[in-house]
Order: sequence, then structure tokens, then C-alpha cells
Amino acid sequence: MPEIFIDNKRYEFEEPGKVLQFMLDNGLDLPFFCYHPSLSIPANCRQCMVKAGMPVYDREKGTFEIDENGERVIRFFPKLMTACSLDLADGMVVLTHHTDELVKQAQADNLEFILINHPLDCPICDQAGECPLQILTYKYGPEGSRFEHKKVHKPKAIQLGPRVILDAERCINCTRCVRFTDEISKTHQLTIISRGDKNYPMTAHGQIFDDPYSLNTVDICPVGALTSADFRFKARVWEMNQTPSIDISNGKGCSTWMWTRDNLVMRVTPRFNEAVNDHWMPDAGRLAYRRFNENRISKPQLRLDDAEQVRTSWNNAQLTLLEELEKISAGDILVIGSAHASVEDNYALRTFFSNKGVSEFRFLPHIIPGSGDGYLISDDQAPNTNGVRALGFQETDEKTLIKLIKSTKPKMIVILDDDLLGRTSLTPDHLSGAWTIVFGTNHDETTRTANLVVPVTTAAEHAASYVNVDGRIQRTVPAKETLYTNRRLNLEMSMGRLDHYGTKFDNWVTDANRVDCISAWEFFIRLEHDGDAPKWESSRQIMEEIAGLFSTFRQVSYDRMDEENGIQLKLEQDTEVKPA
Amino acid sequence: MNNDWKSYQPLLVPAIPDLHDISVYEKNNGYQALKKILSDAKTWNPANVINEVKTANIRGRGGAGFNAGLKWSFMPEPDGKPRYLACNGDESEPGTFKDRKIFEFNPHQFIEGAIIAAYAMQIEVIYVYIRGEYRPFVQKLQRAIDQAYEKGYLGKNILKSKFSVEMYTHMGAGAYICGEESSLMESLEGKRGYPRVKPPFPAQRGLWGRPTTINNIETLANVPLVMNHGADWYLAIGPSTHPGPVLYGISGHVNRPGVYEYPAGMNIMTLINEVAGGVRGGKKLKALIPGGSSTPPLRADMLEGVTMDSDSLRQAGSMMGTAGMVVLDEDTDMVELIWRISYFYDHESCGQCTPCRDGTGWLEKTLRKIKDGNGEMRDLDLLLAICYRMEGRTICALADAAAWPVRYSIDRFRDEFEKKCKKTVYAVA
Amino acid sequence: MADTYTFDAKDLAEIKKITDKYPEKQAAVLPVLWYAQDKFGHTDSSVQQLVAGTLGVPEAHIRGVVSFYTQYYENPMGRNVLDVCTCLSCQVCGGYDMLHYIEEKLGIKAGETTPDGEFSLQSVECLGACGYAPMLQVTNDKFVNHLTREKVDKLIDDLRAGKQPEFESNPMPQHEKGS
Repeated sequence: MPEIFIDNKRYEFEEPGKVLQFMLDNGLDLPFFCYHPSLSIPANCRQCMVKAGMPVYDREKGTFEIDENGERVIRFFPKLMTACSLDLADGMVVLTHHTDELVKQAQADNLEFILINHPLDCPICDQAGECPLQILTYKYGPEGSRFEHKKVHKPKAIQLGPRVILDAERCINCTRCVRFTDEISKTHQLTIISRGDKNYPMTAHGQIFDDPYSLNTVDICPVGALTSADFRFKARVWEMNQTPSIDISNGKGCSTWMWTRDNLVMRVTPRFNEAVNDHWMPDAGRLAYRRFNENRISKPQLRLDDAEQVRTSWNNAQLTLLEELEKISAGDILVIGSAHASVEDNYALRTFFSNKGVSEFRFLPHIIPGSGDGYLISDDQAPNTNGVRALGFQETDEKTLIKLIKSTKPKMIVILDDDLLGRTSLTPDHLSGAWTIVFGTNHDETTRTANLVVPVTTAAEHAASYVNVDGRIQRTVPAKETLYTNRRLNLEMSMGRLDHYGTKFDNWVTDANRVDCISAWEFFIRLEHDGDAPKWESSRQIMEEIAGLFSTFRQVSYDRMDEENGIQLKLEQDTEVKPA
Repeated sequence: MNNDWKSYQPLLVPAIPDLHDISVYEKNNGYQALKKILSDAKTWNPANVINEVKTANIRGRGGAGFNAGLKWSFMPEPDGKPRYLACNGDESEPGTFKDRKIFEFNPHQFIEGAIIAAYAMQIEVIYVYIRGEYRPFVQKLQRAIDQAYEKGYLGKNILKSKFSVEMYTHMGAGAYICGEESSLMESLEGKRGYPRVKPPFPAQRGLWGRPTTINNIETLANVPLVMNHGADWYLAIGPSTHPGPVLYGISGHVNRPGVYEYPAGMNIMTLINEVAGGVRGGKKLKALIPGGSSTPPLRADMLEGVTMDSDSLRQAGSMMGTAGMVVLDEDTDMVELIWRISYFYDHESCGQCTPCRDGTGWLEKTLRKIKDGNGEMRDLDLLLAICYRMEGRTICALADAAAWPVRYSIDRFRDEFEKKCKKTVYAVA
Repeated sequence: MADTYTFDAKDLAEIKKITDKYPEKQAAVLPVLWYAQDKFGHTDSSVQQLVAGTLGVPEAHIRGVVSFYTQYYENPMGRNVLDVCTCLSCQVCGGYDMLHYIEEKLGIKAGETTPDGEFSLQSVECLGACGYAPMLQVTNDKFVNHLTREKVDKLIDDLRAGKQPEFESNPMPQHEKGS
């Protein structure tokens, strides 16, 4: 197998590739700014310089030349090479800053050059704390600067578009943002303008940087030149917790990080997932974080007669549902699942009402044809259409549903987290003949019409699975606490520095940020007065049960989803419920 | 070097009136080399043409001095898809003004050379990239190209052979960097002139990803000479390590500035004193920039016996470059001069890669400080440090070109720099 | 001035000739910008938009190109643009003296335009006329070599009168001697 020697250690490689990526894959460190594994390689920051050479081959003898110490004679390239653009070659010798003084010096020199025109405004810069330039300067940079002149002045705080703000002085001209709009989002909205040290990225005159993927440029900007208009100045990186999750704002289910502080989601950024979204995600999915914080339903709401909804206790909510169920028979109940809710919650809904004798379960897909782009924005507005389908919920369009309600006149309608009144032609009149229970996360038209509203957790608060448009099942991890979860006790939750060491004087004290809600499945297991209530300990256990029952979900487990970053399901298979 | 030069008859730009007109060029042996090749394609198959040019050792006249025929031989075998010849008439190295003589006075010899080059490398499209500032000269060349099309030297089935080639002019728009071959290609493709990372080299992946060769205008004008008279004849002109006629552009403080054509390897003092009529106003010679602004300046006392060819100039501590010689008299303020050169490189740095983008500006600002009388002695060391940190660390050679004049001037004219610096005394406890 | 810029059928035919020279339309960006600048006198945002639309090349790309090359006028300039070379050979042969003389004469600094919109003045990098220093170029076209105060005076008078300079040929001194 071909071999390469990096800092005198031997590595083998199979595929052709570049030295920098190979080093990163092998956990070796080398500073760089402009390189990005998903973009073309301009080698313009010159930060990843290494010394590289090849063994001298003696053609006549057919062997490598050997020196007096029995070592291969290496002919080094006359100049330092940028590892990002250097092809792996059999027998190549690479020396980095660990073994070569010149390389070490060159890396410090290069940082000195980068910094001469970079403002020293880290204390007020949003990027501080997650800034490659800051980090690499600490690690590889010079101790000070010998630059004693005025820095080049460029425009600051330019609103490039609705979501992205440019500080041109901080730009180090890595061109990642330009390459992103050229190669990934293909809107070609950005360019570098001017020349030399006056260069900076810009749009065309009068053009707005409204690329639906524009915030990705903020992620990949290695300095604070591009910042998010929404997130800017809201939180410091080190104050936040970072929890792996998925985007539930459309059917693609991009892998994400959820950034929380004081039980509020502050921002959502993409998490690398080769099978789904690479390093990217649409802007819409990021801005959807607001639904986790705002307009939340906290505590059950009950409508007494025709009066307004009032807050009620969980106990009362449960008893009310059971009382209503007593009054009617299974044939009077219309159960509507939701492509917006998780596999586990839909399954729990289905299990509980199956036990009650209901045999038909429906859901209304939330698809807006033409709204997607064939990339990371799908026509499907819901994260779990395939999941609900695979659980045997019958796909129903709104006309059919309205007809069904008119003809069968159900006495109870159960709606799982889906704003049917808001997004379809269904009206309160259609529901007025029935007692309606809605499981909801946020106040909307549907919850306002309901007789009983059960507040349920969002993707930010529960561990649950969703099956995306391509049939990939992925799960969330709780990122913010509810009134009933606790970061220190719930082992599913990630802990940040302030969780471990924070006191009451830190930021994690606003109780109002913890919503009084539970997962839908938890609501059903709490109906303990009812003999039909299922018995589960956790959503993890529910998934185990589903995996045993449905061939589509066979061998699906939380552990596997975590290890493999989601599992591709075969959706063509039958989805009939097999007897346990 | 003996006095042969006095009887030398120019070969690249001969003293023939109206030679720019195709009929005059034809009457003076014009397009004979092309006819000779195309009428005897067996003897002169592409490989043999390349060999002949390679043997003649035409050193690239754009600055790097690379053997043109050897460069041609790097082109891969044709695969039926397009390949290109790009002719570099960007000519923007300060001190250089030679190719415009070819465009104005003898464009057909260049066109013929380019056609032969295209034939040898089996190329069907030639682009002539000319700096935008040369608009009048672009028009002159375009007229000559039109004539060559009319006479059937360009276009389909040239001289009724199977060989076809198109030639187009492409005008730059003011960017020194576009003289760098990969930047030139970017500019031809309609982009900002950012040099490309090498490898891949143009012969592997050039214009639109296809094999491409880039040759200087003067280099190509030498090709018909080689093909008409043979490599041995050509090698006998000037030193064999750097043979052939050279267009010397002499400017600065001389009595008769201008472009002169003589064999390579001319004695520098002969060029200054006899050819160009000596230093203006009877002043003493102070220094010479031998081949455009990026070549290290030589002090007058370093010029003894030095000739204008790569080897001799390298030994003397400079480079042949474009043979654009800038003569500087004793009153020249070297600090002002070097600052202005730095200003030029700062202005022309494309800004793509770090050491050049920020280094050229730093050099300029520091030199400005010294020139304005605010410098300190330590600034000289800083300048040298910046130069060393720029050299060899960038995508193209602009950083080197910016660093060399500074570095060598401080070395060779240090007293002048020191005189401008404040003698700051730091107290030592 | 009209804020709409368009290419008419004749322009489009010329542009077609230009694009035919290249395998990809983007390659025509530089020549088409030249064409547009000749027609409109500059390549400001509206012209950039027009060129982008005509060639089907992203507008941002056009802006990047225009701002990279110094000869494109991103903003409308005076009717005559005087580009005075002050680089190297011109520097040592009095380029700055000429520049300052013109500055004084026109009452503007390099980089400015006279209030009557007649002249813009720029200090520029080497124009490739080093043997004929000091020199200047008029509106990206003709070179005026061997500048003297008298020559500058005459040039400015001529330009004011609408007379563009003639092309100055600089023969090789060897030819002149006839040796």
C-alpha cells in the first residue's frame, strides 16, 4: 500500500487525496483558513505550509537512493508547499511545524501578515470564542506585531442581505463565502471586489444577498467578517450548550447543532452529515429556532362549555379526556396523526387509541409543491411524513377529511401537533360537532379551537425520531429543559460549562424559559387511571418496541442512529403491523 | 563582446519601411518559414518543428527565460478536443516597452511564429492577450491579423494544407498581474486575474481546463528566424546559453532612450554608453535596473564586463528579465525609486494570497515612512524581514518580484537608506 | 442622462461576434465591458447589469471584474481622462513634475474631475512607454510622449477644442540612423 511519512511517522493511504485532508482525517494538526473539504481549493491563505519531498529514485538500480545512515535520500521541493493542494504521493515525506523550524516560522510569519490589516476587536467581535483566526493565532501565531502603520480601512456593518452582515475589515480574503455561492448554493451572489489589500467580498450593486442558504457563509467564515443578523450580539459562544439535533422545519431533516443558553435556543447551525446535508443547511431551518422559545403552550388548557380556554392541571386534563372517552364508543373517534410529530409520539397516539378500539388512523401530509429546490429545501414542510406513513397512518387530503367529518360526524377528534386549521381549509365549524383534543407545541388556530389542549415538547426538548423525505431516520436529543426535566439528571442532555459550574448568579435561572409540557407519549402513560394506558419508561424503549413490530423500522435503535448519524430505511416494504 | 554589434542588422524588427503591411512582409521573405513547413510536412512534422525550436534554445523573452521549444514539448498528445496557444503581450513590467515595436513595425513575423507554434503543438485556436493600455497597438495587430486571414495564412486549411488555425486578440483592462501566465488565462476566461495554483501546469490544464501554452510575443517572433535559417544559425547569434536577437528597451537617464535590437549578451556599458548615447547631461551612472522593475538593481561598479544574458546577469547578482533596462544617474534618490516600485507592486498585487496581499502594502508603508524622513534604522531590518517572509510563499511570483528590488537595494545602497533614517538611540540600562 | 442603458441590434451583433471567439460566454466579459465603456463612457452599476444580462453571467461576477481592472470606469469620468504615468522610468524622468503641473493647470488633484466635467486626472502605473518618458495616455487610447509643459498646454487646449491627439509613432533609433 502507498505510504507517506509525516513528521517521521509512517502512514498508509489507499485513495488519492490531498495532504491536508489526510492529516485532518488522521487527527494531525495543521493550521488553515481557506481550505474547506466541500469547496474547491484556492490555496490562497497560505497558512498550511509544510516542507515536502520525495525519495530520490535510482532508475538504473531500480531502488531508492540510500544515504550513509541507510536512510532514503529525500529531495525536498525548493519552496514550502501548501498541504491543502499537495497531492499524496507514495514515499512522500512531509515535515510540519512539529519537526521543522522553517515551517513553524513560516506559519507564524503568515499569521503576522494576516493580522496586520485585521482589526484587534476580538472583545466586541461576535466570532470570538469560535474564531479560527483567534484560535490559530494563539496556537501558531507570532507573539506580537511589528506593524506600526494604519490598517487599511474598509466598510463595516454592511447589511449584505436580510440575514448576513459584513465587516469588511475583518475579512482575510479566504473566499470561502464566494466559493460557497458559486459552488454550493449556485446563486453566484458574492464576489471579491477591488484588488490587493483593499479586497473584500461584496454583492453586485444594489443586489441583496438573499440566497436561501446565505447563513452558511457565516458558519464557514473563519473570522468575524460575516455574522448573522439574527444571532449577532445575542450570546457568547462559551455561554451556550451545543446539542446535536435535526432540522424539523422541512422534510430534509438536516443534521444540526442546537445552541442553548438559559433554556432558550439561541441559534441553530448545521452539523456535518455526509448522507443528508454535508456541512450545510437552509436559512429557514435556522430561523425556525424561534418556535422553540416563543408562543409556547405551557400547562394544559381546557375550554369549559363555550367559554374561553383556561389553564388547568395535568391531572384535570387527564381526567377530562378519560371522562369524554367514557361517553362515546370507538367508532365515534377520529384520530389524526401528524407528520410534524415524531415517530414515537405518533406511535404512542396510535397505541393508546388502538387499545380503545379505534382502527383507522389518518394524517394530512404537509406538502407545498414547488416550494423546494431539490437540494436541502424540500416541498415537504414536515419532518416526519415518511415516519407517520410507515406507522400505518392513512394519508388523507383535506377534501377527503372534510367529507369524512361531514359524513361520519365524529364525537371526538384527536389532533396530534399539526395546525390543520391554519394550513388547510378546515374551519372551526367542521370541528364544532365534536369534542376536540389537540396536542400542540405552540399556540395556533387549531389549539385555540380545541376543547382540550395538551402542551407537548418540541424537537428541542425531547429525544425522538423523524423519518426524512429520503427515508432516513434520525433523532433529536433534548437541548433545553422543560419543567419536568433536569440537565443534571437527564443523561440524554448535554452539559455546558455553566451547567457544571454555574451558580444561581449565572444565566441558567430563568424558570419562565422552562415550558410546562411533556411528550405526547408521556401524556398517554400518565393516564394511569385507565387500563388501556401503555407502559413505557422512555422514548428509547418505544423505539425498541417499534423496531420489533414494524419491518420498516427493524434494527432501528437510538444507539445505531447515534453511531451512524441516522439510518436509511427501506420504505417500499410493507408497513403492516405484525403481531408482537 | 567585440564590435560586431555595429554591423548588426535587426532580425526581429528590421529597418524596412512599411514592413507591417503583409505585401511588404511577403516580399521580404515573409511567411516563408510557414510555407516551408506546410509544403514539406513530412520533414517538418510537428515533432520535428518542436525539436528544431528546442535545439535553437529560444529563451522566453517575457522574463523567465525558459527554453520555448522545451515548453512546447510539455503539451500532451492531442485527444481531438481543443487546445490553445495564448500569446502574452501584456508587457506591463515597468521598464518594458518592446513588444509594441513588433505590433507596430513587424506584426507578421510574430503572427507567423504563432502559427508555426500552433502547428507544432497541433493547436487550432490562438489568443493574443494584449494589455488594455496598448489599444492603438491592438488595432495595429488586428489589421495585420485581418490581412493574414485574407491571404490565407490564418483560418481554415492554411495554404491549402489540412492545418487550420484561428487567431483572436483579447485586450486586458489594466492589471499588471495578467502578465503572469495563469492569471492571463483567468483574465482570458473573463475573470478577475487571480493566478492559479500550480500544479496543474497550463500544458495539463490551461484555458477552459484544456492544454495550453503561453509564449511571449517576442519569443514567438523569433520562431520564423529559427525555421528559416535553422537552429545552428540561430545559436550562433549571441551566447549559446542565451542565443538570438533581443529587443533591449533602454529608458531612464540616457541620451537616446528607445528599443534597440542586438544579439543577446551585449555588454551593458556598451549599451548604455554607445548604443543609448551615454548618461544624460554628462552625469555619472549610479545604477541599472537590467530587466524591468522586478530585477535587482545593480550599482554602477557592479556592471564591469557584465553582459545582457541570463548567466552573466545572474553572476552579477540580477536577472535578464525582459531586458527593459532602466538607467539611473548619480542624482537618483534610490529610496524614492524603491518606494515607487513598492507602491507599484502594492497597487498591482491581486490580493488573492496572504503574504503578497499584506506584504506588499507593508513594504510600501514602511518605505514611505523612510522616504518621508520618519524612518528608523530598525525599519531597514524590518524591510528585509518582510521580504524574506514574502519570497517563495505565494501562488505566483509577484511577491518575489516585489521583494527583490527592496531587498537588494537595501543591500546595495544601504548608506542611502541609512541617511534617511533617524538615528534613534535607545537607552540601555 | 437616461438611467436605462441598452444594447441595440447592432451592438448585439457586435457582441455576438465577440462571444463567437470563445468556447464560453464568460470569456467575453472583458471585451464586452470594453465595448460597453466605449458606448456609454463608463461601466457603472447599470452598465454592469446590462453586460451581465446580455452575457448571462452573474452580476456580482461582473462587479468583481470591473473593480479588479483599473481601466474600467466604475463611475462616470470626465470627457477626457488624463492618465499620467509616474512609475519607474517616468518617475525618474519627471513624471511627477508633469502630474503636478497638470494638477495646477486644471486646478484638481490626481483622482479628481474638473467641475466642468472636461478632464479627469489620474496618476497611473507603467503604461509601457518607458523610453518616451514622461508621458500620459488620453482616455485609454492615444499616448502622448516626451511631455513638456508646452506639450501639456497644447494637449489640453486641443482636447478642450475637441481635438484628440494623433498616434505618435516611436521608431527604433536604429532605423532612424539608417545604419
